[in-house]
Amino acid sequence: MRHLIIGASAAGLTAAKTIRSIDRDCEITVVSKDDKVHSRCMLHKYLSGERTAEGISFVPEDFFQENRIEWISGAEVQTVNAVGKTAALADGRTLSFDRLLIATGAQYVVPPVPGLRGAANLYGFRDLSDAEAIDRASQPGSRVVIIGSGLVGMDAAYALLDRGILPVVVEMAERILPLQLDDNAASAYQERFERAGCSFRLNAKAASAEVDENANITAIVLDDGERLPCDYVIIAAGVKPAVGFLDGTPVKPDLLIRVDDHLRTPVEDIYAAGDAAGLSGIWPNAMKQGITAARNMCGEDECYTDLYAMKNTINFFGLTALCIGNINVPGPNADVYIEEDHLNYRKAVVEDGVLKSILLQGDISGGGIYQYLIKNRIRLPYTGSELFRLSFAEFYGFDETSGKYVWQV
Amino acid sequence: MKKIMIDADKCDGCLNCTLACMNAHRADGGDICSLRLTDLQNESRNVIHILPDGSYRPVFCRHCAEPECVNSCMSGALHKNPETGIVEYDEKKCAACYMCVMNCPFGVLKPDDQSRTKVIKCDFCKELGGEPSCVKACPKQAIWVEEVQA
Repeated sequence: MRHLIIGASAAGLTAAKTIRSIDRDCEITVVSKDDKVHSRCMLHKYLSGERTAEGISFVPEDFFQENRIEWISGAEVQTVNAVGKTAALADGRTLSFDRLLIATGAQYVVPPVPGLRGAANLYGFRDLSDAEAIDRASQPGSRVVIIGSGLVGMDAAYALLDRGILPVVVEMAERILPLQLDDNAASAYQERFERAGCSFRLNAKAASAEVDENANITAIVLDDGERLPCDYVIIAAGVKPAVGFLDGTPVKPDLLIRVDDHLRTPVEDIYAAGDAAGLSGIWPNAMKQGITAARNMCGEDECYTDLYAMKNTINFFGLTALCIGNINVPGPNADVYIEEDHLNYRKAVVEDGVLKSILLQGDISGGGIYQYLIKNRIRLPYTGSELFRLSFAEFYGFDETSGKYVWQV
Repeated sequence: MKKIMIDADKCDGCLNCTLACMNAHRADGGDICSLRLTDLQNESRNVIHILPDGSYRPVFCRHCAEPECVNSCMSGALHKNPETGIVEYDEKKCAACYMCVMNCPFGVLKPDDQSRTKVIKCDFCKELGGEPSCVKACPKQAIWVEEVQA
């Protein structure tokens, strides 16, 4: 049995490791554009200079030898022949497979702002190669505009501040980190970033980019006419699945790959996991999808059920936050509870006795139980701000044979 | 694999396990008499919760067979040792993103209170050898180590 995996990030490498743990004898090949394994969530640690490229790997150094995985790095898959079960590489090589996993992740999107597309000094912040390019472009005192203040944009800003570069962040919404936070929690981070030298343009849109004769952006012009001169631009305005190489193949009959509950694509023996599968865009879910896809590729029968993806954690300047669900749009029958002290801000949305979303900023200890409560729509034993003191103790069950905890609901 | 088994009915909330854990993980070393209870660096890996009816619920890391914390770790800091079954944590690799805190369904994990640069995580007192300190300290045999199927 020959397993081929395209992509060497969370879903791809987790799948490779899982396949090896099930089947000692099969062949496993990973092919990736990346020439170094790296955690995309740690790019800011590389850009800030805190860690080397090797320091942001998420697998042990001997991962490929230890798991007997052939890794073809720095190689791009150009197309997949679903009938002949082969993948063609850009360098002319052809790889055959019995089972294929598409785990190519996502790529950043450049919004249709005149002058942005094709600019030489426009960088995403998605892959190590992006971070390396930004690193090369950065000088002390560089003037930088970051478009987008989601987690990727703020990670980039955080790293640049560490190098003494003071970026300007442009955000269309009225607050930073608009999907994860509400105004109150966002302002706590904004203040900290501003104190460190970052500046913000909120409710602002990049209207155009001024470009010189070398295709370099020299300024971003906002919709209110303000001109932000810059040496380069980081674009952090969203991503899309990186599955363009499957255009015109039966694996992807329309714009996206659609997988079933076993993470199978429409083509037999071809699976997808992680951002490429389009189910959810966060690391933990990508790893879990990698595990499920791998088990099914090895002939097991497992459904992927953890579809809940609206969750994140944030840690800037030692201020931590945990946000699960949409905290900003409570339904018409929802009760909203807020609690605040000098170290913490907490907010919860409850509907019909069930927790819909929660935001904890400050102490997030033990916050994992809230994800379980929200995901499984569990009726709360009580509501009101006392729900911020809930723990597993209220749902405690213990299996005496296995020693596992069991939720009693 | 070895697991810390729990009989919540036997727990009388003395918190000897909590103190033993704090002492086992203190940076400065020393015996329990010199443990500084208010030093933020001395954090316990276990929590004894008290319910309104006065009963206790010991919450200890389960070193799960399918650990949600490991499956959410983007730095490779958390790892399940296939031989011992222990979910091990490498502070040096950790990027303090706290995805593991968000994903532990039992609310066992927490950021460290002092610096928010690492996770407070049970290590089975592996480096000290022998039984975990919490188990040794329990006067009620409410917690003990047992070999169970993974």
